[in-house]
Amino acid sequence: MKVVGARIPRYDGVAHVTGRTTYVDDVRVPGTLWAKALRSPHHHAGIVRLDTRPAEEMKGVHAVITHKDVPLNVYGHLEALGIPADEPLLAEDDVRYKGQPIALVAAEDEELAAEAVERIEIEFEERPALLDVRKAFDPDAPRIHQWGNWYPHFEGGMDRRQIRKGDIDWAFAHADVIVQGVYRPAAVEHCPLETQVCQVVPEPNGRLTIYSCTQALYFSMGVVAAHLQVPLNRLKFVGGTTGGGFGGKVDTATETMTALLALKSGRPVKWRWTREEEFLCSSTRAPWHMEIADAVTKDGWILGRKMLTLHDAGAYARFSPYGVTKHSFHHTGAYTIPNLHFDGYVVFTNRVPTTAMRGYGVTSVSFAVETHMSRVAAVLGIDPFELRLKNANRIGDTSPNGVVYTDPSTVPTIQAIAEAIGHELPAAYRTMTNEPRSGEWLPEHLVAQLGTPEEH
Amino acid sequence: MNLTVNGVAREVESPPLTPLLHVLREELGITGPKAGCLQGGCGACTVLVDGEPRRACLLPLAYAEGAEITTVEGLGTPERLAPIQQAFIHHYAAQCGFCTSGMLLAAQAYLARGGSDDPEEIQEALAGHVCRCTGYAKIIDAVAAAARGDSFDLTTTAVGKYTTVTTGGRA
Repeated sequence: MKVVGARIPRYDGVAHVTGRTTYVDDVRVPGTLWAKALRSPHHHAGIVRLDTRPAEEMKGVHAVITHKDVPLNVYGHLEALGIPADEPLLAEDDVRYKGQPIALVAAEDEELAAEAVERIEIEFEERPALLDVRKAFDPDAPRIHQWGNWYPHFEGGMDRRQIRKGDIDWAFAHADVIVQGVYRPAAVEHCPLETQVCQVVPEPNGRLTIYSCTQALYFSMGVVAAHLQVPLNRLKFVGGTTGGGFGGKVDTATETMTALLALKSGRPVKWRWTREEEFLCSSTRAPWHMEIADAVTKDGWILGRKMLTLHDAGAYARFSPYGVTKHSFHHTGAYTIPNLHFDGYVVFTNRVPTTAMRGYGVTSVSFAVETHMSRVAAVLGIDPFELRLKNANRIGDTSPNGVVYTDPSTVPTIQAIAEAIGHELPAAYRTMTNEPRSGEWLPEHLVAQLGTPEEH
Repeated sequence: MNLTVNGVAREVESPPLTPLLHVLREELGITGPKAGCLQGGCGACTVLVDGEPRRACLLPLAYAEGAEITTVEGLGTPERLAPIQQAFIHHYAAQCGFCTSGMLLAAQAYLARGGSDDPEEIQEALAGHVCRCTGYAKIIDAVAAAARGDSFDLTTTAVGKYTTVTTGGRA
C-alpha cells in the first residue's frame, strides 16, 4: 500500500500544463494530405449511382476510395468472439444511418479535400427510417437490417440475452402488489474536446505508422489489419494520448479509412473530424427502452422481477451484444431478487451505431433500477432507504447470473448516503451489515438463492 | 505580417484572414492551443492577445498584427512553471489535458487583473471553457489557490502525509 493515501503527482501533469503533450493533431509529418468523407445525407437509402471520377480528376487530389478499395469491407468488431459481421467500412448498396461514410478523398489540404467530396456524384433512393427503438421492435415495422430488426446471434442461435432464475410464476402468484415502470434514457454524445483524429504514414519498409487517438490500441490494430488483410507486423500503432474518449474512442472510427488513403496515395494522410461530424456521425451512448414489473410484498420484499430491455444498437451491431450481456447481469442492481425473467434485445434502428460510454450497458439499467426502487417504495408507502437496505445484496446472495457475492457494498453505501443527508434510519437498519443473511433478513423466499462464497 | 509570440518577434506569411489558431499551429508549429470545435464554442484554442483571452480559432490574423501573443508555451517551462501551472498540477486540474491550455490562459488573465479566490467569480472568468472530463471543481480550486498565492508541493509525499487543501470551492 505505497500509493493509497499518498500524494502522487500525475505522470503527465507537467506536460499537460506546459502544452508539451503531443496529441495526434500535434504530430507534424511533412507532405501530409488531408482526408474528407462523403457521408450519407439520409437516415436510410439505397445508393443508385456513385461516380467518383470528377473528384479523382481534380488537381491536388491524390486518392479517392470507395468500398471497392477495401480488401475486406464487412468486418465485425466482435468477430474474434464468434459474433458475425454486419457493418461495411464504406457503404456499398445502401446506407443505414445519416453520416455513414461512402467514399473518402485525400487532397493537398482540408479545403481542397472538402471541395473534392462535393464533386463526387451520387444518387440515392430514400427508404423509410426507424429512429425509435420501441417502434423498430414492432412486428410490422419495416425491415431495415439483413438480420431482421434485432440481433439473432446470441449463443445457441437465440435472438435475445435471456436470464431465468428461480420460479417467476410463484413470485407473481404470491405478490401483494405488482409495480410496473417503463424507463427510456436517451442517446448521449461523448463529445470529447479532441474530435476523432488519426495520422497515417506509409514507411519505406512497407509498414504503416498509425498515430491514433484510440482508447483501445490493440483492438484498433486488429480491426485495421482485418480490413486491410495484412499481418499485424505491417502496422505500427502510436497511441496512449487521448484528448477525451469516455468510450467513444473504442470503436475504430478513422484509422482504417485513413490507412487505405495512405496506401493508395503513397503519402502521409491525416483525418480530423469537424465538431459537426463528431456530433452527427460519431457513435453515441445508446438509447434504451426498459420495462420492469416487480412482484412485491406489502412489507417491502421484492419476490420477483420481469424485465424487457430493448437496446438501440443503431444501424449495426458493433459491441452491442456485449453491452446487453453486461446489462443483463446487472438488472437487479445492488439488490437481491430471487426470481427473475429477463429478456434483452439488441434492436437495429437508423441511428448512428451506439457504443460504450462510462459503464457500458450498466448505467442504463442502474438508472431504471434505482428509479424503479423509489417507485416501489412510493407505491408501498415505505421509506426508500429501508426498502433498499432490506433487499440489499449481502455476502452469500447470488447475482442474476449466479455469481455469489463475497464483498457487496450496498449496505454501507446506503447507510453512508443516509448519514450524509441526515436521513434518520431505525436501529435495525442503522446497525445492518453486509454479513450473510439471518433472522428477519432471511425470509423463506431468499433461502434457495443463497450460495457459498468460499466455493467461488 | 508581424507578431510577437511568447516574447519572440515572428514574421508570418499566412493571408490576413487566416484564423490565428491556424497560423500558430500550422505555420509556426506552436501546438499548445487546440482545435476543439473551430466555432468559438469550447475555449480550447484560447490565447492571450495583449493580455486578453481570445478565441484563436475565430480571430483573423489581421486583428493580431503587431500584438503580443501568449500561448501556454509562453506561461512557463517544466523547469520554471508559472504559479497557475503549479496550481493545476497540485490540484489535479488537468485530466485528458485537451482543454487545459485554454483554461490556463483564461485563468492567467483573471489573475493578472487581480481576480479573487471567489468560486463564482472564477466560474465567470472561465465561462465558455468546456472540460468534458468534468474536472470543473478541481480547476476552480486550482485557480482559487493561485489567486490566494498558495505555495504548491509538486513532489510525492508518503502515505498519510497528504492533507487535502480545502478552498471552499464548489462544484
